[in-house]
Amino acid sequence: MSFEGKLALVTGGGRGIGRAIGLKLAAQGADIIVNFFRRRDAAEQTAKDIEALGVRAEVVRANVGDPAKIDEMFDMIGDKFGHLDILISNAASGVGRPVMDIDVKAWEWTMDINTRACLLCSQRAARLMEGRGGKIVSLSSLGSFLVWPTYAVVGVSKAALEALTRYLAVELAPRGICVNAVGASFVQTEALKFYFEEQLALGNLPITPAGRMVTTEDVANVVAFLCSEEAFMIRGQTIIVDGGFSIGSAAFSLGRKD
Amino acid sequence: MSIEEQIREIMAKITHVEQSIITRESTFKDIKADSLDVVQALAAVEETFGIEIPDEEAQKFENFGDFVSYVERQVPQQERV
Repeated sequence: MSFEGKLALVTGGGRGIGRAIGLKLAAQGADIIVNFFRRRDAAEQTAKDIEALGVRAEVVRANVGDPAKIDEMFDMIGDKFGHLDILISNAASGVGRPVMDIDVKAWEWTMDINTRACLLCSQRAARLMEGRGGKIVSLSSLGSFLVWPTYAVVGVSKAALEALTRYLAVELAPRGICVNAVGASFVQTEALKFYFEEQLALGNLPITPAGRMVTTEDVANVVAFLCSEEAFMIRGQTIIVDGGFSIGSAAFSLGRKD
Repeated sequence: MSIEEQIREIMAKITHVEQSIITRESTFKDIKADSLDVVQALAAVEETFGIEIPDEEAQKFENFGDFVSYVERQVPQQERV
């Protein structure tokens, strides 16, 4: 698997899963554009770590919840590079509230960043991928089909993101672009601490067949595979990376006599 | 318009409160600004004045006055109108 000569944009690429994806693609030769919104220091550190792998890194600030900022970011990419090979739609935000407390502002904020941004970035990216066999991977979450405390609006945004991934996969296929998603369970990042009590995440450990929590590298490995030619025939899928957590292992663990 | 007036206008627009209730002593809670409003306000102020306000700094703002003072320190004198 080599991404030599390829250019990848990772939205929300400064920290957590986005950072791991940037480093993984860079380790295999890709130049990386690291998008961030709030934490320049983290994005610049990630860019430095990427450059240390012998490839080019570019930091670009943009709130992907704002369509004008997405346009500015892609105008810059178009002017500076003239093309794009890989889009990782990873940037996410959200408001942790029970359904009865979700207001229009919280809903729109979350949907704009987690779902609409993927649509708008994909539209702009597809034009820069013309004739290059582009790859788009969006980052989803098990919360798109499992119900977690205060995760409603984020879960809904991720379910919509997965549906969008299927539509993009079909409609961008004639342009030679492969589109898929990766859905992870609890991953040890700053975002995890933001949304959940650590106990909730750790409480799932005994019912995770793989026996440990998912790491950012676990997710990055699958994203990188989906960006490779080996994954050419996988289209519109959400690949679950959860160590087996979501496939009914709770009943199995409880019923085990050992 | 002074920096303070501009930030007050931005803040009032986001939180839908009367500008007159926003004083330098007002906390974000007084202005009915939740965490989303604060992030939006930071982004709008950064855009307006061409500066960046790191989260670590923003977390130190105890009231509207701290916010304004920080921006006043970041914006070069000659750009003030």
